[in-house]
Amino acid sequence: MTQVPFVPARRRILSAAAGTAVLGTGWVGSALAQAKEFKVGFFIALSGPASLFGPTQRACADLAAEKINKAGGIMGRQVKLIFADAGGPPAETAKSAVRLMLEDKVDLFIGSHDSATREANIATIKGKTPYIYSPVYEGGECSPNVFCLGETPPQQAQPAIEFLAKEKKLKTFHLIGDDYVWPRKVNEQVKKFVAEYGGKVVGEEYVPFGAPNKFEEAVTRIKAAKPDAVIATLVGADNVNFNRTFAGFGLDKTIARLSLLLEENTLMGVGAENSANLYSCMGYFANNPSDAAKAFKAEYMAKYGEKAPQLATIGADCYSALNLAKALFDKAGAADAKKLAAASEGLVFATASGRVTMRGRQVDKDMYLAQCKGTEFEVIKTLKAIKSGTACRA
Amino acid sequence: MEPVLVAQALNALYGIASLAILALGLAVVLGLLGVLNLAHGELVMIGAYCAYVVQAQGWPYLYAVPLALVVCGVLGYVVERWLVRPLYQRPFDTLVVTWGLSLLLRKCAEAMFGLGYKSLTEPIGGTVEVLGATYPRYRLMLIVVSVLVLGALVLWYGRSRTGTRIKAMAGNPELARALGIPVRRYASATFVVGTCLAGLAGVMIAPLAPVQPFMGLDHILMSFFVLVVGGLGSVGGLLTGSAVIGGSNSIVSALSDSTGGYFCVLLLAIVFLWLRPRGIHARS
Repeated sequence: MTQVPFVPARRRILSAAAGTAVLGTGWVGSALAQAKEFKVGFFIALSGPASLFGPTQRACADLAAEKINKAGGIMGRQVKLIFADAGGPPAETAKSAVRLMLEDKVDLFIGSHDSATREANIATIKGKTPYIYSPVYEGGECSPNVFCLGETPPQQAQPAIEFLAKEKKLKTFHLIGDDYVWPRKVNEQVKKFVAEYGGKVVGEEYVPFGAPNKFEEAVTRIKAAKPDAVIATLVGADNVNFNRTFAGFGLDKTIARLSLLLEENTLMGVGAENSANLYSCMGYFANNPSDAAKAFKAEYMAKYGEKAPQLATIGADCYSALNLAKALFDKAGAADAKKLAAASEGLVFATASGRVTMRGRQVDKDMYLAQCKGTEFEVIKTLKAIKSGTACRA
Repeated sequence: MEPVLVAQALNALYGIASLAILALGLAVVLGLLGVLNLAHGELVMIGAYCAYVVQAQGWPYLYAVPLALVVCGVLGYVVERWLVRPLYQRPFDTLVVTWGLSLLLRKCAEAMFGLGYKSLTEPIGGTVEVLGATYPRYRLMLIVVSVLVLGALVLWYGRSRTGTRIKAMAGNPELARALGIPVRRYASATFVVGTCLAGLAGVMIAPLAPVQPFMGLDHILMSFFVLVVGGLGSVGGLLTGSAVIGGSNSIVSALSDSTGGYFCVLLLAIVFLWLRPRGIHARS
């Protein structure tokens, strides 16, 4: 599939300026209608540390596009994916969004990236082009013409905390996260859930996002405070680093850990000897027990073979997002924001882990609570059709 | 003393020791040759991947040390001979060249090992009691080894003839050459020592950090701050810099949180660049 070519900074600034001037006029909308292919501006991480997920994101998206095109495309038009980098600063990604709107005239944006980038993109796109945001997130995103696929705290944190509080009888919780919008917003809700189940949050701290963090001091502090469990909203290398330090100091034996963004790649970094008492709750694991997930994995392996990039929730969400796009546009019959929103209500579509229902432009879905066994996830609980807790008006 | 205080004190010590060993190679190359090697972090990364390879083969962990020294040494020799040597006395050009090299090395690591995190087992696992605080064995050993490596280097540099000749080369290359000191060879050897030290640091921290192509970026930044604060060209400067940067990061992180610690480090770096750009131990 095509890649957005490198554009010199000067031109990018010009096009961004032109974008701001033109966006208000509706010119983009009319240009979109004339395009023949169904162009999707697809934001994945191609650079920076998050580019670890890039190959999986791309492979899953290509797989979905191939299937959709074989089945006649979206609204009868062949799907063309235009990948753009969302691995840099949010403002850079937003500039690519402007270019994709003006030069490539995309019909749809799909984004698989962090929440800070989502906010920048939405502020730039302003609902002029439909936008599907696919990965796990903090919930509550109701901007016009935006559709969210990801797990929200009521789907992810609530059942996991219920399990820890009720079945494991854990009472005190320490929260640690990266310092940006996702961890902060998630923890607001985590505190509510902990209180609801009779527990207590005894500590909350954040580490600078994107800085060279080390966790010896935080782990020593946690050790002294002796909470029953730690809830981590750390991402990527920080998550690996924290969990390794935590186990290195011997805390894994006495304190449970719930990590809210723990997937196959991160767990591989954490390592088998550091993953005792570690839990994750996601809508998709690579060894997901559902039939749909097994079928998806078989298709994926058949297309990419032994060298296939590791399947994980980030990546599988890209496959699901394109399926949503097909179901949504085919039902609405037009790229009109109102029609799309109306069509989305109660829309049933296939994801990598099974059929789900869209309500309030969010997704109600099955969730899987897993305990880490070495570098594998062992699903200990399947939670059926959990509501997103966010209901946007149509 | 409270166990928690002991543990936090050890954390500070660990922070300082690991930073000193990470910055050592950078300090040698910048202090003696005037080359700011922006690929230093990537050499640390390569050292860490050497450790990964050794462990993946099931060999004893110590085999990683010679492997990293050979790989980083050969790399250092080649880089010095064909990239850096033509550019001595052109600091900005070496900056660009080594920056480009860092990109290349990162991509090479990506091509060979992929972007995924590699997980290494600590060769010496478990924890040990120190004054009532339980502390990870491997981190304690890392503190000891760092002190030994630094001590050995100080002794050798201070007492050996080679050390004196290198000092002469760094002080006045023309005069040194006139005295019959093979300046080119010494410069090459100094650069190789710098890259080998980076590789060694990589082997040491590999079991504690997520090993991945981007890991070098984290280390180059803090190491650079160490040199900004400590000043160039002396072991005292390196130690002072590590103590100020690593110590304040650790202590403020322990008292408040990591954001406070990182803020403190950035503030110190800015203050030093502004008021004392040559650092605490400026060489005249």
